[in-house]
Amino acid sequence: MTERELNERLKNALDHAAPNDLDAVLSRCGTGKGNVIDMNEVKTNTKKKKSWTRMLIAACLALALLGGGGGVFYQQAYAIASVVSLDVNPSIQLTVNRSEKVLSCAGLNAEAQTVLADMDGGRDLKGAKLDVAVNAIVGALVRSGYLDKLDSAILISVEDKDAARGARLQQELVASVDGVLRTADNTASVLSQNVTASKTLESQAQKNNISTGKAYLIDQIVALNPDLDFDALAALSVEELRDLLQAGAPAMPIGQQAALQAVLDFAGLTENDYTFADTDPELDERTPYYDVELFVDGREQDYGVDAYTGEVIQGVKTPAVMDPGPALPQSDTPAMTEAEAEAIALADAGLQDAVFSVTRTDFDDGRLRYEVEFFAGGYEYDYEIDAETGDILSSDRERDPRTAFSASAAAAPTADPNGDIGQDAAVAAALDHAGLTEDQVSRLKCERDRDDGRIEYEIEFKCDGYDFEYTVDAASGAILDHERDWDD
Amino acid sequence: MQQTERPLEASSSDRARLETLLTGVAAGDRDALGRLYADTRGAVYAMAVGILKNAQEAQDVTQDVFVRIWDRAGQYRPGGSPMGWVLTLARNLALMRLRQTGRVSSLDDDAWEAVPAQAPGVAPEERAVLQTALAALTDQERQIVLLHAASGLKHREIGQILDMPVATVLSKYHRALKKLRVRLEGDDAS
Repeated sequence: MTERELNERLKNALDHAAPNDLDAVLSRCGTGKGNVIDMNEVKTNTKKKKSWTRMLIAACLALALLGGGGGVFYQQAYAIASVVSLDVNPSIQLTVNRSEKVLSCAGLNAEAQTVLADMDGGRDLKGAKLDVAVNAIVGALVRSGYLDKLDSAILISVEDKDAARGARLQQELVASVDGVLRTADNTASVLSQNVTASKTLESQAQKNNISTGKAYLIDQIVALNPDLDFDALAALSVEELRDLLQAGAPAMPIGQQAALQAVLDFAGLTENDYTFADTDPELDERTPYYDVELFVDGREQDYGVDAYTGEVIQGVKTPAVMDPGPALPQSDTPAMTEAEAEAIALADAGLQDAVFSVTRTDFDDGRLRYEVEFFAGGYEYDYEIDAETGDILSSDRERDPRTAFSASAAAAPTADPNGDIGQDAAVAAALDHAGLTEDQVSRLKCERDRDDGRIEYEIEFKCDGYDFEYTVDAASGAILDHERDWDD
Repeated sequence: MQQTERPLEASSSDRARLETLLTGVAAGDRDALGRLYADTRGAVYAMAVGILKNAQEAQDVTQDVFVRIWDRAGQYRPGGSPMGWVLTLARNLALMRLRQTGRVSSLDDDAWEAVPAQAPGVAPEERAVLQTALAALTDQERQIVLLHAASGLKHREIGQILDMPVATVLSKYHRALKKLRVRLEGDDAS
């Protein structure tokens, strides 16, 4: 059977075994798309927009006077119809009445209060039309440098019991903010969502000094990965949260402050040694990292910090190098040579010499490694060796396809081909090779299998975050393959 | 050796089509969701059953994935890998299900079910192919082979989804193929 035929048979089997009940799916899909985050990207110059911002604030003030000076109010004028929040890292929350006039505007965290300082902490916006107030706030955010970066993001959340009105408000606000940013040539993303608040969500938001909108976003991330801590996520920016959500929330990022500290520790610097620092999360990259720029003695130094481990994976490089593709480029000269890596692989295989086919370095998961392939005794050997430590990251031995049908006699096990050491002995051989005992490992599995006409035991177990896989010759107890991978 | 690139790679037109469908779903187009479902349910099921090793739970998760896609399609960033995005969602939901149910891999691999007991569309030989073949593979080999067959993703993309170096994916893939051939051709012969 060819590879293509095998794949086609598997594909057909899977297609037929998969559920085929679209109606059941559609019955669970609401007509509205309440929690969808829509993204728009626009460009802006970001700086020195005081004039138009002040005009907007003046407009707000004028409207506030008009709204508040009449002396005639209906009760519903004070009733909160919608709650709108704006989150970058500052979290700002506005309450609005049915006429879309602002009833209150509050900065929920210290950064927000600084942004609103020019507007009397948000009180100047009371009575203003919602879109005018939002535009004034966005202007202040831009002026404060919060939306300067290429991947910056602002989240607009609308909470309204009237779903139609909420959706309309969301749409209008996105268009309005998008227009403001477009005018200013800004590249920030505008995210928006309709929020269904709950008491739990409100309580979590209050506890962390964030808006219910940001809490709602975090709630979705925790739904993806319940191991993540809500309170820790609350400290992240909207940009980090967005990227985390898009990446499927694999783990908890260390955060921008910790990334900066990791670089300082790595470079042997203190806060007094640099004049300016800029940390940019790149969590949606193949290798998620924080890009940290430091200006030291008038020179820019660029670093990459693994977003999840905090390891500095990129030293002093120019910014151009820090635009990684699927993987970060290799940085330093490896500690060991190719010949040394070959020698390690040969020694592990118990060989004196071999015909080397390929030896190369490859940067993967932020680690420099050698991939060593060679042929000996009718077998093809594949090794991955850590170029810094010399550790064997994985190894594999397979019958050389060029000799698979002719060299079977030469490659036959030396032990009695009819013998079988048994499952317990095979497991013991694998554990012994790994330097572990049975009570140190978990998820131990052992399967008897036939491969290339030979009986083998396939053994798997886990220990200290690693997956181990062994293939043990049932006749001789020899370790035929072994592999150790990080347990993802 | 490693020049064996497989026949079922995703083409750019497939990618563009899926991306268009995701955009449609994000805009609330239920027909687009239906077409996406038809195109990718096999791959989603492959991911789910590869992790859960239980046909019923994999079917449940497959349906959940498409409800989640309906809710979250707006989060897909155009220009990426639409199939990769869908399958990452599937992987996360399957792993969540695994955690929630507290299931651990059975010591006896022959016990797991790749095909639902009541699945009238599945021909007996297909059931045998999937069931018999997959009992021979390790967890990682099974996921790689199923994803490759059902999704048409490249080895590198599979590596990204499963968080494995491409060299490891290739090595495991070819090793798994050898095992499958032995098992299947043996079965055919009998």
